[in-house]
Amino acid sequence: MERVVITGMGTVNALAKNTAAFARALQEGTCGIGPLTVFDTSGYRTCNGAEVKHFNPREMIPPSFSLKRMSRADNLAFVATIEALKDAGLFPLPDDLRETTGVVIGAGAGGKLEGENFYRDYLGRQGKHARFSQLSSLYGAASADHITSHFGLMGPKTSFMTACSSGATAVGFAGDLIRRRVAPIMIAGGVEPLCRTTYASFNVLQAVDPGCCRPFDRNRQGLSLGEASAIMILESLTRARSRGARIYGELLGYGVTGDAYHMTTPDVEASGAVRSMTTAMADAGIPIEAVDYINAHGTATPANDLMETKAIKAVFGKRAYRIPVSSTKSMTGHTLGASGALEAIVSILAIHHGFIPPTIHLQEPDPACDLDYVPSVMRKAALNIVLSNSFAFGGNNTSVVFGRYTDKGIVNE
Amino acid sequence: MNRRVAVTGIGMVTPLGIGKKAFAERLFGGDSGIAEITAFDTSRFPSHLGAEVKGFSARDFISLKNLRRMDRLSQMAVASARLALEDAGITIDAANRDRIGIILGTAFGATDIKSHCARILFTEGPGMINPSLVPNTVMNAPAGHVSIEFGIRGVNTTVNHHAASGETAIAYAALEIQRGAADVVLTGGVDILSEFFFETLIHFRAVSPVDGREEGARPFDCRRNGPVAGEGSGIICLEALDRAQARGAVPYCEIAGWGMSSSPAGPTDWSDDPRGILLAMERAIQSAGLAPDDMDVIQAAANGGKNPDLVEAEACRRFFESSKKPFMSSMKGAVGESFSSGGIRATALALSMKEGKVPPTLGLTDPIKPLNIVTGRSMKTDIRCGLMNGISYGGTNVSIVTKIIA
Repeated sequence: MERVVITGMGTVNALAKNTAAFARALQEGTCGIGPLTVFDTSGYRTCNGAEVKHFNPREMIPPSFSLKRMSRADNLAFVATIEALKDAGLFPLPDDLRETTGVVIGAGAGGKLEGENFYRDYLGRQGKHARFSQLSSLYGAASADHITSHFGLMGPKTSFMTACSSGATAVGFAGDLIRRRVAPIMIAGGVEPLCRTTYASFNVLQAVDPGCCRPFDRNRQGLSLGEASAIMILESLTRARSRGARIYGELLGYGVTGDAYHMTTPDVEASGAVRSMTTAMADAGIPIEAVDYINAHGTATPANDLMETKAIKAVFGKRAYRIPVSSTKSMTGHTLGASGALEAIVSILAIHHGFIPPTIHLQEPDPACDLDYVPSVMRKAALNIVLSNSFAFGGNNTSVVFGRYTDKGIVNE
Repeated sequence: MNRRVAVTGIGMVTPLGIGKKAFAERLFGGDSGIAEITAFDTSRFPSHLGAEVKGFSARDFISLKNLRRMDRLSQMAVASARLALEDAGITIDAANRDRIGIILGTAFGATDIKSHCARILFTEGPGMINPSLVPNTVMNAPAGHVSIEFGIRGVNTTVNHHAASGETAIAYAALEIQRGAADVVLTGGVDILSEFFFETLIHFRAVSPVDGREEGARPFDCRRNGPVAGEGSGIICLEALDRAQARGAVPYCEIAGWGMSSSPAGPTDWSDDPRGILLAMERAIQSAGLAPDDMDVIQAAANGGKNPDLVEAEACRRFFESSKKPFMSSMKGAVGESFSSGGIRATALALSMKEGKVPPTLGLTDPIKPLNIVTGRSMKTDIRCGLMNGISYGGTNVSIVTKIIA
């Protein structure tokens, strides 16, 4: 088994258009949620979201890459991929890596924003002369295809779509391909664009807070939808060491479980969430006591936050009260398919820079949510092990374990 | 941990029938599931053929309580999952449910529900979307419904990567059992035909007849002019071999290895370089610890498309250039291209392995390459190892190696 390390990161989200700025925004407790401009929200129940404003991919992508037929999602993913490769010292990608390097993306709405524009046009013209080519990047898989196509990659490629846990599963699976020596380097992450159908869907389910989401707050009313891309370069330790790469941290293991309970309501017993955390820790080969920080799923829906709190208590017992747990969705919004990957980056940044990002907008504690949610202000802390949770509609739960990289291996002390 | 992975059950809802008895009879009997589409009016389109699932009564397979929350896509997935579990003789209970998982592939998801919701959004307004339909618009809905219907609480995920979704799901499921993350994983793929989706395929020139000539599915044939669109669901039950043997199950075969690769191509394009497919086959056979010479039968991905069939044929020609020539067959002349077809095709390969029969490639009379392709009627032969190719537009390749358990 190979050890898996993170050697590069890239992200575009409502807080920042690169990882360094993202790390600062997280430490400052910046809110990325506000009125949406990416589409007209009149007619919707709510109007807020965590949007990537003033996004001009052409400014951030070298002119040698054509952006033809790429959706907003593909552009977000591509900008983050270039940043991650540069960060890892792999841009331009050396020729000898093309045959084995793979891509795994947790996808979401894909090219739906463009697809909606097309469909509105199609309905208006009764189907005549509508430009179906606008649908060429409709599906989430397109982002991974554009990445492999632009870089000429021939390693394993796939996309997951399990709603809010897609990105976490993508990172976990890609890591496993390295662990088991299927591939030496993987570009792994997630991407989610804001679009009307997703926004309308969460609104009719009454799952959206009309203001800003307030994870773990007693008055929380739901999530704030957001958009983001988050890409990591995962590499076998052997390879990273041999080329003298900077190592941000280690991917130690992951766990995926099913609730088998309800399509949109989490299991009140929290069994799926409990098992995703314990399986991830067992996969990492790390005792439960070693967890220093939990990056919560923390969507701010009444059901999720209660369930997640219950699950953390079930897993960690009395120690649950001493482990900082925060929801960075309070800043980035819920970026659905990207969220697991975005929070993987948050976890690694927390380890690398030694801080615990806050849960902002948490003003009135909920008596039923009584853990240490790091309200409002970040804390400096040396972190060895971070657990990141992602739970999704459909009862898909994924937890991923990250660690500080040391020569000796897993940090137990 | 490195456990062997057995195929202990299969279940399918296909244009060739529902359940393995009907399916095997028609598959090996050389029947076609392709006919004029009946689910919607095709008169305004240049294409009229499809491989539709007919005579499917979801109530025969699904509890009423859950059925009313499911769309057609999820119904097919759940029915196939029930058939696969029954075929495997596995009963799910409190003691085993956390170690049983589901990893499904779907290329397009619930195209009918999604286009309906988009229509409501623009014609009646965003607040008029029926909230009870929303859970079925996500790609992971079929796997979610399967897990709820049977109480499966282990690994649960959905692969959504075009026409390689089913094969990738199977590879991932095998990996989960290999590494000990689950004891049993239901896996495969599901996709459906619907009107707007069909119209989109036509605009992308993704279905026969792209050259305006006679419509039909002709894998590997010189006269091929695009695939015929199909639908259906196929699920196989993968199980740790030691567990299967301990309970006295008789597996169809084992998943001995798999390989994944990409061929650089845009999301709706086909690569014209066979190297990607070659890499997937090489990686699969290598991970199984086998050689090209060991392969007895190839279940090809060829669907009658101009480019993909040529590239796959060339990759196979090169791959088996200096070895024994295995029998090849594509069942897409009979079941059409159902996109996440890896599920249905895996159930067919499992049957092939067990019965020692290779189904015929319907629609093939004039092969593009001199390969050992079975046509006309099915071929009885000794099969020890099989290889299934999954290839997709967007440049995604997956190969799976199956082996008889000695």
